[in-house]
Amino acid sequence: MSDIPTPFEGLVDDGHPVWDRFIRVFHWALVVSVVMALASGFLLDASWIRLHLVSGSLAVALVVARIVWGFTGPTYARFSQFIPTLRQISDHLKAGADHARHIGHNPLGALMVVALLALIIALGVTGIAALGSGLKTGPLAASLTASQGPLWTELHELAGFILLGLIVLHVGGVIVESRRSRECLACSMVTGRKEERNGDLVAPPRPTHLVLAILLISGLVIGAVVTINGLSQCPLTLPPVGPMAQVYGDVCAACHMAYHPSTRPAASWELMMGGLGEHFGEDASLPEETRIEVAAWLTEHAAATTDSKPALLWSDLRESTPVALPDTEAWKRLHTSVDEASFRQRNIYSRSNCIACHADAETGWFSPFQISIPKEPKQ
Amino acid sequence: MKHTLILLTALMAQPVLAQDTSPQALIEQYSAAAGAAASPENGQALFMATHSGGKPDTPSCTTCHSADPTKGGQARTGKPIDPLSPTANPERFTDTKFVEKWFGRNCNSVLGRDCSAQEKADIIAWLVSL
Ligand code: HEC
Ligand code: HEC
Ligand code: HEC
Repeated sequence: MSDIPTPFEGLVDDGHPVWDRFIRVFHWALVVSVVMALASGFLLDASWIRLHLVSGSLAVALVVARIVWGFTGPTYARFSQFIPTLRQISDHLKAGADHARHIGHNPLGALMVVALLALIIALGVTGIAALGSGLKTGPLAASLTASQGPLWTELHELAGFILLGLIVLHVGGVIVESRRSRECLACSMVTGRKEERNGDLVAPPRPTHLVLAILLISGLVIGAVVTINGLSQCPLTLPPVGPMAQVYGDVCAACHMAYHPSTRPAASWELMMGGLGEHFGEDASLPEETRIEVAAWLTEHAAATTDSKPALLWSDLRESTPVALPDTEAWKRLHTSVDEASFRQRNIYSRSNCIACHADAETGWFSPFQISIPKEPKQ
Repeated sequence: MKHTLILLTALMAQPVLAQDTSPQALIEQYSAAAGAAASPENGQALFMATHSGGKPDTPSCTTCHSADPTKGGQARTGKPIDPLSPTANPERFTDTKFVEKWFGRNCNSVLGRDCSAQEKADIIAWLVSL
């Protein structure tokens, strides 16, 4: 369905408009948002999730707008202009370094554009799935289970690595082609113009449907916002239980924060509640009827009854004497990025003082949105 | 939002104290049981000393209540503890069951045994005098 470009013959002018204003803004905004999303995803810890979501969503929104523009925009923005046929690709490859100069995307460049757009959409989809399953947030929270979290997260990461690879190839391709044709292709993406030379492949002009594009893009944005909001309101299945009546806070949160029942399996709570006289080096014994009441509530809402990431992390904790979560492998793995010295700060003091860094620790969620390591107070 | 609300309710869950007694009433009760007057000096000595009979992590009352009980302390878990002295914290020693529970636990952790009625009277008498 390619609009066959024809070789240009005429005066050499250096002001042929190729990349319209939308394409240029789109291109550089995409560079910024993708760099931020990759950096916050690969280099920064989980507490940067907000930046990651904002930059990732921006990238996806830009790509969606670009796809609309690919059907409504001017000549060189159109998919019909640049998506190559197999024949064009093989001709292009056969011509090697002698291939004709394309004013728009050349066949290999065009394939890259399509791959980048598709991959960013795939990153958006796997990202929303990872967010919904692992973190129980967003439009898919109610329909995916926490146990699918690791799978979606891995797919999302894999797509991220492929995107990194494609970006390297894309930049490499631009450099090679700029050298070959002795021009600055990246500069054209700023000025929007290319020098026109004899023998160039120029596409027949196509009109821009600006109003249609604006209507389509706003329709898609409104539709997406409404759908995402609606889906995000769906009630979760098996969320961590709400706080127990007064008694748990009174008897189990005097020496430390109120540990949530979903952070341990029932067997672990039974073991702990059966040996309160020797509780982590302290005497935490209780009158028998209170002990039974608290033990029943803890085991009833233990890890297996809850669909959340922390509940899964420690659902198969096995021990013969109660272990603190920071002594488990899973905990250590999650906290490798945290500086050892933080745990000795006066306002943190113990690794088990989860609530010092996880504002939502007592709800059982441990959401990355709620992580903040407090500053060491001055004295 | 929902999570913040749950969190707030959890944080506001302060123990409900029965308000069935006062530091003075407790001192009288404990010294009557012991058959001797309360001695703030002995109370201070017991509170400040380092003991070896209890659990290794908690050698002294000051481990958690700090050496100045008019100021707050901190449990080994990082959780702050309100001042123990009734002068600084009028909620203290106003609930017989609560006082008994914590004397029971803390004396056991620090001394490896229960505190006697005399010792309890001494400690409260010292804390009141601060
Ligand atoms: C000194 C502050 C601090 C303390 C104390 C702490 N954490 Fe964390 N925790 C963090 C940070 C920072 C991260 C993010 C680490 C990363 O992504 O590299 C994290 C991550 C986590 C995660 C993964 C969150 C996610 O979905 O990515 C869980 C679960 C968790 N912590 C549980 C706990 C538990 C349970 C405790 C107490 C037993 C605890 N933490 C104590 C700082 C702390
Ligand atoms: C007398 C003080 C005291 C009381 C009362 C007490 N605990 Fe603890 N608990 C501790 C200490 C000390 C630790 C060790 C934590 C640390 O090193 O910071 C601990 C640790 C824990 C842990 C492990 C924390 C982790 O990191 O995984 C759990 C769970 C726990 N307690 C539950 C309970 C429950 C349930 C109750 C009520 C029946 C209770 N505690 C009452 C002192 C107490
Ligand atoms: C491991 C930490 C720890 C040690 C050591 C400790 N306490 Fe406590 N104490 C606590 C906690 C936690 C509470 C209950 C929380 C609160 O009331 O703020 C408490 C409460 C008390 C209360 C109850 C006061 C009231 O409000 O009525 C008394 C009395 C008390 N402690 C005395 C002592 C004495 C005496 C010692 C030394 C023999 C001691 N404690 C050692 C942690 C400790």
